Amino acid sequence: MAEARAHWIFVGIALLAWLICPTLAWASGGEGEEHPELPNLIHLLYKALGGAEGHAPGWINTLYHFQDVFFALLVTGVIILIVRLGTRNPTLIPGPAQNVVELFIERFHSFICGILGPKEGRRYVPFLGTLFLYIWWMNLFGLIPLMKSPTAVLSTTAALACCVFLFVQFTGMRRLGVLGYIHHLAGSPQDVVGWALVPLMLPLHIIGEIAKPVSLSLRLFGNILGEDVLLGVFAGLGVAILAFTKLPVGVPLHVPFILLALLMSTVQALVFTLLSTIYIMQMLPHEHEERAASR
Amino acid sequence: MEASTALAFALPIGLAMAAFGSAIGLSKAISAAMEAMGRQPEVADKIQTAMIIGCAFIEALTIYAFVSVFLLSGKIH
Repeated sequence: MAEARAHWIFVGIALLAWLICPTLAWASGGEGEEHPELPNLIHLLYKALGGAEGHAPGWINTLYHFQDVFFALLVTGVIILIVRLGTRNPTLIPGPAQNVVELFIERFHSFICGILGPKEGRRYVPFLGTLFLYIWWMNLFGLIPLMKSPTAVLSTTAALACCVFLFVQFTGMRRLGVLGYIHHLAGSPQDVVGWALVPLMLPLHIIGEIAKPVSLSLRLFGNILGEDVLLGVFAGLGVAILAFTKLPVGVPLHVPFILLALLMSTVQALVFTLLSTIYIMQMLPHEHEERAASR
Repeated sequence: MEASTALAFALPIGLAMAAFGSAIGLSKAISAAMEAMGRQPEVADKIQTAMIIGCAFIEALTIYAFVSVFLLSGKIH
């Protein structure tokens, strides 16, 4: 009974926060902003200390400049804390944190193994699971009042995509050997026609490999930025509707889009991880074909 | 016509065209996947995974348009 009441108090606080948040957006102005976004902690601090007029202390300028790095590090800290809580002293009958962590790992493990196969899947679950968890939480972080999605900036997503790119190329070289890797890039020629097509296939494959991180980063960045801008625009609209009352309240018009954003954040994190999995899978030696050939 | 006026007309229309095209692509892909899932529910998981990957590729085209619209919208005064 007491727990149920605590849940309702939590829901109430969350709703209240979402009522106040657009108002903060209105109060913080928005002049000279590149995109209409909900205000975050550092943004408000910067405004409060007079950063726009240019007489803010140096540290807040630095923090404002590197706000995405700050929020990304914050997400990392939160994930480390939760996973640490879940794995600190594992018991046979799991507590809440351990339950959540084990549920996630088990589901994700079976998901990846369903694509890569049980033997290969086990090897790549740590990298892909970290990727998914990190991106998912960064996407969702923008929905917490006064926080911001670090993935709504191209540099964060480009860094993640570069990680995937390097990991995939490294996997290819390790599993296929350097010569096998080049053979794979040349389109795996088997006969005379295949070798004759190498001058055409090699540049095509190299361009394809370079296009992968570009499309990965642009897709995540565009989706999350679109989501955040949508929330910001509707929050601003809700404030503008009630502007004639001169009261510091707004209509929370953006609430339905939060549900959409919840869905999109998860789907985009999943898509990023899934495509990374596919790229890794393409680099693995094709065992089933060799088995078919030897039969 | 000034450059910024042309941009103000072209950007939303271009984004709408990109969204229209990818909406058609998505609807075809998803309807085919749904049909396949209804016919063979036992492989629904595999079909769904493939569908999500395909949807991501189709949707990425709209996202490229969206990103370029955002990059260019700064040029409208």
